[in-house]
Amino acid sequence: MKSDTQQIALGLRQRDVVVLEALVEQYQYRLVRYLIHLLGKRDGVDDLVQETWLRVLERGSSYDGRSRFEPWLFRVARNVAIDAMRKRRTLSLDSDDDDHGVRPSPASSEPSPFALAARTEEAERLAHSLETLEPVYREVLVLRFQEDLSLQEISVVVGAPVSTVASRIYRGLATLRPQLEGDTA
Amino acid sequence: MNIDRHESFEHLIDESLAGAIAAEREQSLREHLDTCAPCQEYLSASNRVIAGLGGFSFEVNPTLNAKVFASLRLRAQQVQAAQPRRLRWVSISLAAIALTMGGSFIDVQFGRLIASVLDIQRTHVQQGLLAFWIAPSFLVLLLFPLLPALSRAGTRREERTL
Repeated sequence: MKSDTQQIALGLRQRDVVVLEALVEQYQYRLVRYLIHLLGKRDGVDDLVQETWLRVLERGSSYDGRSRFEPWLFRVARNVAIDAMRKRRTLSLDSDDDDHGVRPSPASSEPSPFALAARTEEAERLAHSLETLEPVYREVLVLRFQEDLSLQEISVVVGAPVSTVASRIYRGLATLRPQLEGDTA
Repeated sequence: MNIDRHESFEHLIDESLAGAIAAEREQSLREHLDTCAPCQEYLSASNRVIAGLGGFSFEVNPTLNAKVFASLRLRAQQVQAAQPRRLRWVSISLAAIALTMGGSFIDVQFGRLIASVLDIQRTHVQQGLLAFWIAPSFLVLLLFPLLPALSRAGTRREERTL
């Protein structure tokens, strides 16, 4: 009997639209959340989500089913986002500099997606800091603490060594911690 | 408590939260946390940050899934349709290669024989083969590099009509 990941891999190899639609249903929210954290804005995310799934259809044969599907999906989404940004020439992602090219979005007059999405007191207090946090730190925080990916899996997604991923997590936490320090739990 | 030692335990807390800590160091951290209030506060603040990160609920456009489904179905149809078309172009090109080589072979090997059977000059046989066989198939062969572009243009035309 095939495992779930092997069934996904088989479906993607066959370009089975039914399998793809089930994946869309299952992962859509998480994909949207990841891209919002990566971009720091809501605008344009829907287009990237659509493009990500089309790329999954076209290049699905490269997923072998031996590892979890999520890191592979997020890596595809990240590449789609980088390609789109390069095309628009408004941002430069994935350059060879030490932040691996993921840079903050230019200032926007739109309300922060984090402020709009905050549902708890802690989230409200974190919203502004998240907005100003460098995307590379937001990205690893959401992948580690929301997506529950291991350091190795995050390393695959962002294309950086495990030690770099760990450093980004420490630094991201260190930036956000003062917002909530001194509170009673 | 030595400040350096304290910082090293804070770093261990970070490592533990990131999932980067070794088992024996985790044990040492637990023992330290039992007796160190500042480190407990550091861990508690870190846990509140992590909990805070889970306190966001992003809205997904309610029509997004339907749009994605529609574009997936369309692209899947295009990909499926493109495969036989590509195969067809490759077959045509292979046939053109075979015809060009076959025409040249007949000219060289049987040109004299054909001329004598039909009672015409050898050059007339050569001209006939060249005009009605070798040149047309060679022309198709020359189009080979243009086939991918033609195929893409066909796909775009279908895209506009769908």
